Amino acid sequence: MKLMVLSKKEAQDILTNKIYILLVFVQIFIIFGALGLGMVSSVVTDPGLLDKYGATSSLKVGISEDLKNTSIVNNLKDQNLNLVFFKDMEEADKQLGSQLVAVIRVSPPPEENILFQSDTSNPFYPAVSEKINSAVDKFKLEKKLKSAGISEDLIEKIENPIILNKITINNDNLSDLAMNTSYFVEIIYGFIVPFVLLLPFFLASNIVTDSIVGERERKTFEILLMAPVSSSMVIIGKILPIFSFAMIQGITWAILLDILGVPIYNLFILILIMILVGLAFIGFGILISMFVDSTKEANSAITLTLMFASFILFIPLFMKVPYFESILNFIPTVLMVKMASSPSFEPSSMIYLIPTFLLSTLIFGLTVRYFRHERAIRL
Amino acid sequence: MRFLKITKWELKNTLSSKKFITIIILQFGLLILMMSFFNMFIGSIESEDGISLSPSLSKFASIDVSDNNSFIITNLNKEVLDIRLVDYNNSLKRLRDGKTTAIIVSPENPREKIESFQTINIDLYINSEDPKQSVVLNEVNSTLEALSTSISDEWINSLIPPEKIVDPEVKEEKKGEFLPLQIIKKMMIAILLFLPLFLFGNMVVDSIVGEKERKTGEIIIAMPLSHSDIIMGKNLAIILIIALQTAIWIITLLIAGFNIKNPQLVYLIVLLTSVPIIGITSVIATYSKNYKEAEIGLSLVYIIMVGFLIIPALAYISTRSLSSNISPMTLVMRIFSGEAISGVDFIIPIFSILMVSLISFWTSIKLFKRDDMVFGPRPNLIRIIMDFLGIKKREFK
Repeated sequence: MKLMVLSKKEAQDILTNKIYILLVFVQIFIIFGALGLGMVSSVVTDPGLLDKYGATSSLKVGISEDLKNTSIVNNLKDQNLNLVFFKDMEEADKQLGSQLVAVIRVSPPPEENILFQSDTSNPFYPAVSEKINSAVDKFKLEKKLKSAGISEDLIEKIENPIILNKITINNDNLSDLAMNTSYFVEIIYGFIVPFVLLLPFFLASNIVTDSIVGERERKTFEILLMAPVSSSMVIIGKILPIFSFAMIQGITWAILLDILGVPIYNLFILILIMILVGLAFIGFGILISMFVDSTKEANSAITLTLMFASFILFIPLFMKVPYFESILNFIPTVLMVKMASSPSFEPSSMIYLIPTFLLSTLIFGLTVRYFRHERAIRL
Repeated sequence: MRFLKITKWELKNTLSSKKFITIIILQFGLLILMMSFFNMFIGSIESEDGISLSPSLSKFASIDVSDNNSFIITNLNKEVLDIRLVDYNNSLKRLRDGKTTAIIVSPENPREKIESFQTINIDLYINSEDPKQSVVLNEVNSTLEALSTSISDEWINSLIPPEKIVDPEVKEEKKGEFLPLQIIKKMMIAILLFLPLFLFGNMVVDSIVGEKERKTGEIIIAMPLSHSDIIMGKNLAIILIIALQTAIWIITLLIAGFNIKNPQLVYLIVLLTSVPIIGITSVIATYSKNYKEAEIGLSLVYIIMVGFLIIPALAYISTRSLSSNISPMTLVMRIFSGEAISGVDFIIPIFSILMVSLISFWTSIKLFKRDDMVFGPRPNLIRIIMDFLGIKKREFK
C-alpha cells in the first residue's frame, strides 16, 4: 500500500513534467522521420524503385548526338536513364558534376570502346552506375556474339545461362513491409527498430536521476528516507512508474512501427530484452544520483553515461569484425535485431541474453546496496 | 572590464571542481571512442566497392542450400547470409516454420549442363512472411549474376575462336568522392568539432537559474556590478571553458591523424559559433523560473540549433548550394576540407553569428535587469515582448 502511495506520487510528478511529455512527442517525430529517411534513401539508391516511382528524371547522362539510334543508346534507354544529347561533348564535360551524373563516350566502329565519366559525389551515382553497367554489359555481350555470327536463339541462351525460379510459400501471412527492398530492411531492422524501442529507457534514466537529485536539492530526500518503508520499497516505488511508462512507450512504438509497415516479430522476447536493458539503465540512473550533489552534475554524468551506452549498444550493429562475431551476438541490440525480424523463435538464442541478465542484476544489486548505504549515512 | 571579476570567480569555481575535471576526462574518453569508431567505420566502408551507410550485421538473413556440387554455396556472401547446407526435404519444413528465410536448390549436375550448352534452372523458395526476403533475394541475384557472366564467357570462348572475338574496352573515370564517404568523413569531423558547444548548456543554466533557485541572485545583484557585467562575466567563463575544450579536441584530432586543413581558422569559427549558442542559452536561463523549465527550453532550442547547423551542411555536400553557407558548420567543413573559399562566403555565416550573438546577449541582459524576472512573479511572455517594444500597460483609474 505504501509502495502504491509512493509510486502514485512519482507517477504524478512524471506526468506533470513538461519536458518528459515533450520528449515523448519528440520520439514520435523521430519514428516518422527515421522511417521517411529510410524510405527516401532506399528509393535513391535502388534503380528498381526509381523506375517504379518514375523518379528517373534526375538520372541525367550526357552522350553524343551522333550515337542516336545505336545499340548502346537503346540499351541505355531500356534502363530508363534520362539521356541528354550533345553536339559538342566538351559542353557535356562542363555539365558533369552539376547537371549530369555521367558522360558516356563511344569510340567509332569497329572497336566501339566505351569511356564513361561519372560524378561519384552525386546522390544518384549508385543507381546511375548500376544502370550504365547493365546497359554496357549487354552491349558488350551482344557485340561479341554478333561479331561471331551466332544465331539469335543461341545469343539469347548465352545472355541468360541461368534462370532463377522464385517460389513463394506462406503467402497467406505475407510480410506487410512498407518497402520490400534490401536497403530498407537492413537500415530499419538493423538500426531503427532497436534504437526506437530503447529510446524511452534513455529518457527514463534521466528522469529517475532528476527525481532523486531533485529530492535532495529540495531537501525532501531525508523526509522520504524517514518514511517507514524499506530501502528496496523506496527504490521500487521510485522506479516503478517511470519503468512502466517507458515499457508502455516501447510497446506502443513497436505497435506503431507495425502499423507503419515494419512488422515486429517476437514481441514478448523483445519486451523481456527491454525489461533487462531498462533495469540496467534505470539502475545506472539511481547509482549516478547517489554520487552527485546537484542537478548540473547529474545531467552531465547521465549524458556521458548514455553516450557510452549508445556506443556499446549501437556501434556493434555497424561493425564487421569476424573475430568478434560470437561476442557481438551477446549485445542485446544485436539480439533485438534478430528477434524483431524473424517470424520464428529459436529457444536456443536465449542463451545470448544471459550476460545482459547478469549485468542488469548486478547493476540493480549495486543500486540497492548503495541506496541502503546512502540511507544509513543520511539518517 | 568589471565583468572579468565574475568570469574569474566562475572559472575558479569550475576548474577547481574535481567533478568537473572528471567530466572533462570522461568527455575526452568519449572523443577517443568516437575517433576509433570513426576510423574503423571508414576502414570498413572504404574496403567495399559499393559504399553504403547501412548496418552491417553479419548473418542477418538465413538461407538453406541444397547443393551437392558446391555450384552456388561457395559464391554466396557469407558475411550477410547465415548459410546452411541441407537436404531439400528437411529444408522445406524449416522454411514453412519460418526457421530460414529461403532455400536455394541447385541442379543435380550443373557441370554437365554447362558443357552441353543447357540453360541451368535454379529454384529459390522464399518465405513471404519473412521481412528479410529482399536481403536474400538481393544476395542470390548478385551471386547468380556473377555465375552467369562466368558461364557466358566460358560458352563464348568455346564457340568463337579468340581472334574473332570483338570485345569493346570499357573504362570508367570517377570524379569526386562517394557521397556516403563524404558524409561520414566531413560530417563526423564537423560533429566532433561542434560537440563541445552543446556540452556546457547545463553550466549556463546552473550559473543563472542556479542563482535564482539558491536565492543567491539578490547578493550578486547587490554587488557593485552592473547587470550586463554579471551576464557577460558568467557567459565569458563558459565560452573560455569551451575554448579550452575545443582546443584540446582539435589538437587530439590532429595528433590522431585526422586531416584538418587550416586548424587555426577552423578553431576560430567554431569558437565564434559558441558565442550565439551561449547567448541563446543565456536567454533561456534568464527567462526560466527553475531548472525544469530551462531544460525544456534548452532541449527544444538545441534541437533547432543542431538542425540549423547540420541540415545546410548536409545539403552542401549533396547539392553544393551556396545558400547552405548560412550554417557555420558548412563553412568549417569547407575550410577543413581545403576548399577555396572567397571572402563573400565568410560574410553570411559571420554576419549571422554576430547578429544572433548581439540580439541574444542584449535580450538576456534586458531580461536580467528586470526584478520580476529574478525575484518574481515572472510576467507572461506577451507582456515581456510588449515591454521590449515600448508598449506600456494601460492603467485604469
